[in-house]
Parts: sequence; structure tokens; C-alpha cells
Amino acid sequence: MQNVAMPTTRLFSPDSPQAGAINHLFLIVGVIMILILALVTFLVFYAAFRYRRRPGEGEPPQLFGKKNVEIGWTVAPILLVIFIFVITLRTMHRADPAPAADDPPFLVVTAHQWWWEAQYAEPHVITANEIHIPTGKPLLVELKSADVIHDWWVPQLGRKMDAIPGHPNDFWIQADTPGTYLGRCAEYCGAEHAWMRIRVIAQPQAQFAQWEQHQLEVPAKPRAEEAAQGEKLFQKQLTCASCHRVAGTPAKADIGPDLTHVASRETLAAGRLKNTSANLRKWLANPQAIKPGANMPNFQLTENQVDDLAAYLETLK
Amino acid sequence: MSDAPYIPVTPSLTLPRDRVTGALAWISTVDHKKIGIMYLVTSLVFFCLGGIEALLMRIQLAQPNSTFLSPTAFNQVFTMHGTTMIFLFAMPVLVGTANYLAPLMIGASDVAFPRVNALSLWLLVFGGLLLYFSFIAGGAPAAGWFSYAPLSEKAYSLSKGVDYYCVGLIILGIASIFAAINLLVTIIHLRVPGLTIRRVPLFVWMVLVTQILILLAFPALNASLVMLFIDRTLHAHFFIPVSGGSAILWQHFFWAFGHPEVYILILPAFGVISEVIPVFSGKVIYGYEFVAASTVAIGVLSFLVWAHHMFAVGLGHGVDTMFAAGSLLIAVPTGVKIFNWIATMWQGTIRFTTSMLFAVGFLVMFTIGGLSGVSFAAFPIDWQVTDTYYLVAHIHYVLFGGTVFAMFAGVYYWFPKWSGHMLSERLGKWHFWLILVGFNMTFMVQHFLGLMGMTRRVFTYPNLPDWGLLNMISTTGAFLMGIAVAIFIWNVWTSVSGGEPAGDNPWNAWTLEWATTSPPPEHNFDRVPPVRSRRPIWDLEHPENPDWKHGH
Amino acid sequence: MGTESIQSVEQIAAYDHNKLAMILFIISEGTFFVFLIIAYVYFHSVTKTGPTAANSLDLVKTSIFTVLLLASSFTMWRAEKSLRQGRPNGFRNWLIVTIVLGAAFLYDQGKGYFHLYHDNVTMSRNIFGTTFFTLTGFHGFHVLLGLIALCVLLGLTLAGDFKTSHSSAVETVTLYWHFVDWVWVVIFSVIYLWAFL
Ligand code: HEA
Ligand code: HEA
Ligand code: HEC
Ligand code: CUA
Ligand SMILES: [Cu+2]
Repeated sequence: MQNVAMPTTRLFSPDSPQAGAINHLFLIVGVIMILILALVTFLVFYAAFRYRRRPGEGEPPQLFGKKNVEIGWTVAPILLVIFIFVITLRTMHRADPAPAADDPPFLVVTAHQWWWEAQYAEPHVITANEIHIPTGKPLLVELKSADVIHDWWVPQLGRKMDAIPGHPNDFWIQADTPGTYLGRCAEYCGAEHAWMRIRVIAQPQAQFAQWEQHQLEVPAKPRAEEAAQGEKLFQKQLTCASCHRVAGTPAKADIGPDLTHVASRETLAAGRLKNTSANLRKWLANPQAIKPGANMPNFQLTENQVDDLAAYLETLK
Repeated sequence: MSDAPYIPVTPSLTLPRDRVTGALAWISTVDHKKIGIMYLVTSLVFFCLGGIEALLMRIQLAQPNSTFLSPTAFNQVFTMHGTTMIFLFAMPVLVGTANYLAPLMIGASDVAFPRVNALSLWLLVFGGLLLYFSFIAGGAPAAGWFSYAPLSEKAYSLSKGVDYYCVGLIILGIASIFAAINLLVTIIHLRVPGLTIRRVPLFVWMVLVTQILILLAFPALNASLVMLFIDRTLHAHFFIPVSGGSAILWQHFFWAFGHPEVYILILPAFGVISEVIPVFSGKVIYGYEFVAASTVAIGVLSFLVWAHHMFAVGLGHGVDTMFAAGSLLIAVPTGVKIFNWIATMWQGTIRFTTSMLFAVGFLVMFTIGGLSGVSFAAFPIDWQVTDTYYLVAHIHYVLFGGTVFAMFAGVYYWFPKWSGHMLSERLGKWHFWLILVGFNMTFMVQHFLGLMGMTRRVFTYPNLPDWGLLNMISTTGAFLMGIAVAIFIWNVWTSVSGGEPAGDNPWNAWTLEWATTSPPPEHNFDRVPPVRSRRPIWDLEHPENPDWKHGH
Repeated sequence: MGTESIQSVEQIAAYDHNKLAMILFIISEGTFFVFLIIAYVYFHSVTKTGPTAANSLDLVKTSIFTVLLLASSFTMWRAEKSLRQGRPNGFRNWLIVTIVLGAAFLYDQGKGYFHLYHDNVTMSRNIFGTTFFTLTGFHGFHVLLGLIALCVLLGLTLAGDFKTSHSSAVETVTLYWHFVDWVWVVIFSVIYLWAFL
């Protein structure tokens, strides 16, 4: 197994040069801010204690202001913000290098109301919510939206980017150490915005290639009786195929996540559930109880149907 | 004594008044003072509603995976919380204060258009009720206070909530524009002889600039809302990308309003601070011209920074850079103010009344919020922290630590004028310290939550290390604030008629509103003292050393 | 006004609040139109299929009525001048001409809408329809408000008001009417001239 890093969600352990550049900027700006705050707080407290009215004190001198002083505390902040501006520009290029016009994206991510679709350029792998990448190199991602505005955010790997319908965006992600990185949709997108999470699984090139090869495989037709029954339900008797895609079958829709290798994912429903047999059944039995508002209806399946479907889906490794 | 005579108030400046009493006297009034009080009461009611909504959110967020509120309920609640606090609390509290005080401070007997003034108030009340009516008309809006399209379009927000939001806010917008015109004409035309624009109290200066911002910014809001409403009701396409519209246009339009709006919410607060600090420091404001001029600078800059709310949209580095420059620059005139206020305290004889405590609290709390604002303006930082709880912390440090702290300072300062009675200082101190502790508990930890990856507008979150603890601290702080607000309301309630009698000028203040009785008579002044400087009452009391001898 | 010191109470009483308020209102309304116009311009090049300004509007006819609307600005100016010169009859007559011209403009706009609607060019048809009807619709609404105000003035004249040479109400409404006309010049240029020239 790969070295599974603690799936942290912190900004402060960047794992890419891009995220690192932002961190660096944040540290510098943060220190400046804390110093300014310390200065202001000190002055306020000093004045408050030193110049408290003491009994019997007369009226203080009336000072109307001095021009030089005013110029002083105008110019000093100007110099500071110019400095901040300069380091901001420097960081901008490091954190978000402009892609060459003809750079093809490595990956096209399409945000949907409350899940992520991922299509790799070459070879053409399609998957959802859990995105595998090779470590150690910058990868260009094209980001789109199928409905409302969403936002891609995996703090350790780089910047946020909005997914806006009618306005595709490009940005870079990179992971230097193998591991699982947690991210989430950061732009409010409706009922289940809270449960629109991302996992990025970074693997060394060789393992990544292996994963890719595996994703390209078309699942075999299930043999076991239950699973075969489930497949029939999925493809013919129920409407599953009108929303989902399973490679090598008539199911080709992208209203819901691609299920070709759903059983090999760690979570279900964009990070809402761990992918276990019991949870899969729970989801199928009533998605609306798990993720109220999600775009998969409750089909009021019988327990048998749930078992059959689960058996089928579990073959989709 | 001064050689200049008192200024008689000519009958041409006073209005004929109806002679009705009781509740009807309030409802039918066109007196700017009564209208001001009704604005304040309205805003207090909505502050409590917004606060209760905040507490509901905080209960839900106190623990991971909580099910206290459903996702849809939570989304309605945070949308209504933001919309209420911005439009139905912060706007009216500031407009109301300006309405009451600006005419008094300039020695006028009323605003220029008393009837329009009443209309503005009642439009506001009506708009607010309409917005809240949505709760029983099939669901409140749930697209956030800035209603990003296309989420706010019919296809994704089916309930009538967003329609109520559009119509309610358009009504509020029209009311605000009327009120702004009214105040502008009042301040420009009705100043008492001698009160040149360079002598008006700084509060009036800030109100003046604020009204100009309202005049130019609210049309942007009205235009966007009209378009959204047309989209939703007439199946038009402004903000629907699939049929040729643009999701980004909404953002540009909304923030072209939204950014000036946040300065609309802070400038009058700056004005309050500029009145309170000098009086309780026993000193004239330091650098009057610079405090006034920096306000104008902020006003101008506020129209040039709107896209700093859109750094993650992908508008390109050029656009980001331009808007970052403007946003960083705004720190400079704001800093000038902070430093001048501190300089005013310097070498003074400071009286720590509750009002002054809030003003001093403001200085530090607002600076924290302002500084985190500057960190967004260094936009690669924004690429990480936008739409997280770090942002929620920013907005509350500026809006609560700024606007609300300043308003509390203002209420403790002017309540004697408004009611003729003093607020209890003992309860006031409880109020202040509880707020200070509760506020920082609630929102300081949110900086850390944001940096740990907690995004805003989530109805729940997974059980990640420390998240539950920090959120619980935040919720506890919110309840402390709730207690503090209850104490404040109790203080107001018991002091309105039971507080110590105030007298005309309990704080030894120097501006014209203190030159009449508390509360002032209907026509405000029987006679206005001569105005030969910025502090007419100081001049009267210090004939040996009046301000005008120093050329101010 | 401004920074010069205010001399006396009498001087304050002499300020015309209505006119200043109208100027401020016009600034605000002007900004409102700026946003509607930006929306129109922003989407101008988006419309590739279906109705556009070039293929569904009538340049010639609208130009004629534009001239009429501008003429009404002129006649309103004459009306105000007559009043100032103490000729209430002249005022009344010019006012009537102004109202007729304004009404003619609105009539043409209504007819235009009717034809477009007939050709299935509507608010919901495409983004051109959306922006066109919103922009011109709001302008029409403002013309209508102006007409109502003018009619009120006319009513007051007929009832015998405005015997004096100076009327704040007349000057205020005049300001508004000029505003409505000149906004149309901008809108006409943006919608019609841009599409056809
Ligand atoms: C009262 C309201 C108020 C005020 C005054 C401010 C003040 C500022 N705000 Fe804030 N802001 C909001 C209310 C306000 N803001 C709200 C409500 C939002 C979120 C909307 C939403 O998404 O829901 C927001 C969001 C927001 C964003 C967008 C973040 C995002 O969505 O990702 C940005 C980005 O630049 C920003 C920046 C600033 C800056 C630079 C200031 C500056 O004006 C601050 C200036 C003050 C100081 C800097 C402190 C004092 C100065 C000194 C002591 C001098 C020395 C200082 C230096 C040299 C740095 N704000
Ligand atoms: C002036 C503006 C203002 C003020 C004062 C506040 C005050 C508070 N806000 Fe507000 N907040 C916003 C403006 C404001 N907020 C905005 C604009 C947003 C963004 C919305 C959006 O994303 O769309 C936001 C979002 C926001 C969030 C993020 C929601 C999310 O993203 O999911 C949270 C979460 O903690 C929060 C909490 C609070 C709390 C605890 C208070 C407390 O300070 C409240 C304290 C007050 C009380 C506790 C009231 C006490 C009431 C009583 C004692 C009742 C007495 C009763 C009677 C007399 C009958 N706010
Ligand atoms: C109306 C469209 C629709 C239909 C019909 C539908 N689904 Fe879904 N399905 C979705 C959507 C949308 C999601 C993603 C939900 C989310 O995470 O918000 C989803 C998610 C899932 C998931 C979790 C996938 C993952 O990667 O996390 C499974 C498993 C699933 N559906 C199985 C089924 C089965 C089995 C059926 C038939 C009984 C079915 N779906 C019918 C829309 C549909
Ligand atoms: Cu998708 Cu939030
Ligand atoms: Cu802003």
C-alpha cells in the first residue's frame, strides 16, 4: 500500500510549490499584521492607562493636530502596502503560473450539484469525487460547472478556483508526497454544499499508471446470481442508467457520478459516507435520508432490490 | 461672553405640527427625532431576530454532524441572518442615528423633507416585513446574502424566497435612496448660519459621505435585483449562462453595490467614534481635516475595489492586481483615522464611561478586522482563505467589532439626549465586558477554523481534530453575547423613564445637539448659540480660549 | 452651499430644496440606467441566433420619434422660459406641446413592443430580448412618470396656479424631463445607432 498521509485539512502543511508560495506570503503578511496590531493595541492601552482622568485634574491642552505627524502616519502605511503589493505580485506568479495558451489540461473537472466529475485527457479515464494524480509535477486542471457556481479547494495542493457555468477556468495542482489530501467545494452551491467534498489521492507515477490502467478496464458481466439480478435492475428495470454511467454498458449518463469502478472508491456521495457494504445499502435504500436534497431520488426499493443492486455495484471494482 | 448673538430660529424653518397624541402621534409623525427613534427601535428588533438566527446557527455548529437544523433550514437561517443584519439592522441603525442627530448637529429644526422622511421609514419597515413574510410563504431565501446567480435563479431556487428577497430589498433600496437625498439636502441647505462645511461635526461629515455612497451604490443593487426578478418571473436570461446570460455579471453588479455598502456601514460608525473619543478625552479631535479628508478618500476608493470579492473567479491576473492595489490603498486613509483617534486620547483626561469603553474597544477590534481584510487584498492569500471561517471572522470583526461597538458607544453617549435619562453605568459595564469576552470567543477562534479548512455556509462538518472544540468555544461566546444584549435591552427598558435625569449636556460635550434640552423640543431649538468654530459650546464655556481664536 | 460661510437665516430659506433633491435623484437614477446599459452592452455580442437589434428593430421610425422626444425637451425649455418671462399662457401652450410629444413617443414605443411581441420577440426569447425590453421598458416607465408629472403641472396651470414667474415645481419637473430625454439619447445610440451604423 501507498503511504497514506494523515488526511489533514490544514493550510499550514503545503505539499506543492504553489501552495507553499501562498503560505510564505501569508507568513510575511501575517507577521506584518501582528506587528501593526501590537503597535495599535499598545498605543491604545498606553493612552488608556497613562491619560486616565485623575481626580482634581484640570482641562488638558487642546491640540488641533500637526501636519508633519499626519504626513508621517500616512506615508509609513503607504510604504508598507507598497511592500505588500510587491510580494503579492511575486507570489501570484509562483502560486498561479499562467499556462501557455496551448497547454492541454491533464484533467477536466466538472462540478455538479454536490459531486465532482473528473475526466482525464489521455488516456480518457472518467471517475468521480476521488481524484488520483501522479506526484511531483504540476498538472493543469480545467474546471467547469454543470449547474451553479462551485469552488475547488484542496488547501495543501494550491489555490482555490471557482467552477462557473459558462466560464471554464484553468489552474495548477501538484502534490509532492504521496498521500490522500482532503478538499471541498468552497462556494456555497445549495442544500448539500457541506457535503461536496474532494479527495485527491497522490501516487508515484508507476502506481498512478497502474491505477489508470485499472480504470480503463471494462467491468466484467457479473456471474453471481444476486449481482446479475442487480445488473438487470440497474440497466433495465430501474432508471439508474438514465443518470449514471458504467463503462461497457448502455448506461452512459452523467447526471450522477460514474459508477464504473465505484467499489474501488474510499467514500460514497462526495465524502458523505465511508464506502462500506452497509453504507452502500443505506445510500441505495434512501439517499435523501443521507444527503437531503441530493439529486438522486429515493426509489423506495425493497430490501431485496437493495441487496441485488449492492451486490452488483460491489462487483464494479 | 462671546460677542456674537444667539441665532433666533425663524418660523419659516419650523413646520406646523399636528396635535395628536399616543401611538398615533408616532405613526403619523414627521418629526425627524421620532422617526429617528423608530428607526432605532426597528433596527433593535431586527438585531434580535438576526441574533436569534445566529444563535440557531451556532447551536447547529456547536458539534460535528449535528442534526438540530436540516440543511434547508440552516441555509435559510444563514441567508436571513446576513440579509437582516446588513439591511435591517446595520443600515437602519445608522440611518436612524443620522436622522435624529444630523439636523440637531447643524442647528436645523428638521430635515428638508419631513414627509419623505416618514415615507422612507415606513418603506423600510414594510420591506423588512415582506422579507420576513417569506418564512410563512413557502420558505425564506436560501441563496446567501449576496444571492449568487445562477443558484438564485428559478431553476435552482424554486421557492418564492428569492422573490421576496428581490422585492423586499428593492423597497429597502428605494427607501435608502430617498433617505439619502433627504439627508444630503438637509446637510447642504439647512446648516445654521456660521456652520460652514469645514466646521460641521465629523459625524455629519461621515453621514454626508455615506449618503453620497448610498446615492451611487444602491442603484447598482436595485438594477441587479430588478434583473434577477425579471429572470425569475418573466423567464429572462440575464444571469443564466445556458441561455446566453452570465453568472459573472451578477457578481460584478452585486459587488459594485456590495463593497461601497460595507463602507456605508462603517463610515457613520467612524463618525460616532469621532464624536465620542474627543468628548471623553477632554480634547478637541486631533487632525479634523485629515479625518474628514480620509473619509472622502475612502469613499472614492470604495468604488474601485469591488472585484476583491471575486479573486477566486478567475478574472485573470491583471484584474486581480488592479483590485488588489485599490484594496490595499484603503488601509491608508483608514489608518489615518485610527491614528488620529489615538492621538486625540493622547495627553487627554480620559473618562471611562461605558460609551468610551466601547469606543476604545472599537479601536482594537476594528483594527483586527481591518488587518485581516488587508490579508485578503494580498490576493494569493485570498485564494486560500476566501469563503472560509477566516472570512466570517473578518466580517464580524469589522461589522460587529466596528459598526456594532461604535453603535453601542453612540447609544450610551446619546441616549441621555434621546430620552432625557441616563443609562445605568453599572449595567453598561456588565454589557461591555460580556460583549468583549463573548465577541472574541465567538469570532477569534473562527480565524483558526478557517485556516484549518472550515468553509463558510456549511450546515455541518465532519469530526476532524479540534474542530468540535473550537466550534463549541465559538457557540459559547455567542451565548455570552446574547446575555450581554439582553442586559443592554434591560438597561434601555428600565432607563427610558427610570434613569437618572440627564440635563441638557451631561457629558460636557461641545456640539450643537447638546445646546438644547434633553429630549429636544419638537422644533429642536428655541435659539441656537452662535457658531464661530467647530465647538460652539466650548466657545461659550471658554470665552478666554475659544476655538475660533485658533482659526478652527 | 459649498464651503463659503452661510450668511443668514434668510439665505437658508431661499435655497430651493426641491431642485437640489431632483438633481440628486437624477444622479441616482442615472446610475441605475448606467447599469442597465452596461448589461445591454455586455451581452451585445453574445446573441448569435434569433432576434437581434439589427434584424428586428425599426431604425427609421424610432429615429423620428427620438427627434420628437428631443423636441419635447426644447418645448419644455420654452415653457419654463415663458413662465419666467411672466407669460403663463405661453407656458401652458408649450407644456401641452411637450405632453403631446412625450405621449407620441410612448405611443410609438408601445406600438413597437406590440409588433415585436407579434413576431415572438420577447423578454424570454433570448438575451437580446431580455436586455432590450428591460432597458427600453425602464426608460418608458420613466417617460410615463414624467408625463404624469407634466399633466399634474398642466392641471395646476388650468386651475390657475403659477401666476408668479418662479415655480420650484416647474423647474424641478423640467429637470426631470430633460433627464428622461437625454438618457434616451444614450440608449438610442447604444441600441439603434450601434446596431445599424
Ligand atoms: C464594515 C464593513 C467592512 C469593512 C470596514 C471592511 C474593510 C476591509 N475589507 Fe472587508 N468585507 C466585509 C466588510 C467590511 N470590510 C464583508 C461583509 C465581506 C464579506 C462579504 C461576503 O462574502 O459575505 C468582506 C470581504 C472582504 C474581502 C473579500 C474576501 C473574499 O470574499 O474572499 C476583501 C478582499 O480584499 C476585503 C478587504 C477589506 C479591506 C482591505 C478592508 C479595509 O478597509 C480595512 C482597512 C483597515 C485597516 C487596515 C486597519 C487600520 C489601519 C491601520 C492601523 C494602518 C496600518 C495598516 C496597514 C499598513 C496595513 N473584505
Ligand atoms: C452587522 C452585521 C452582523 C452582525 C451584528 C452579526 C452577528 C453575529 N453573527 Fe453574523 N453574519 C453577518 C453579519 C452579521 N453577523 C453576515 C453578513 C454573514 C454572512 C451571511 C451569508 O453568508 O450569507 C454572517 C454570517 C455568520 C455566520 C456564518 C454562517 C455560515 O457561513 O454558515 C456565523 C456563524 O457563526 C455568524 C454568527 C454571528 C453571531 C454569533 C453573531 C452575534 O454577534 C449575534 C449576537 C446577538 C444576539 C445573540 C441577539 C441576542 C438576542 C436576544 C438577547 C434576544 C432578546 C429577545 C427579546 C428582547 C425578545 N454570522
Ligand atoms: C435522477 C438521477 C439519478 C438516478 C435515477 C439514480 N441516481 Fe444514483 N446518483 C445520482 C446523483 C446526482 C448522485 C450523486 C449524489 C451526491 O453525491 O450528491 C448519485 C450517487 C449515486 C451513488 C454514489 C456514487 C459515488 O461515487 O459516491 C451510487 C452508488 C448510486 N448513485 C447508485 C444508483 C443506483 C443503483 C440507482 C438506481 C436505483 C441510481 N443511482 C439512480 C443521480 C441518480
Ligand atoms: Cu459545490 Cu459548494
Ligand atoms: Cu469589499
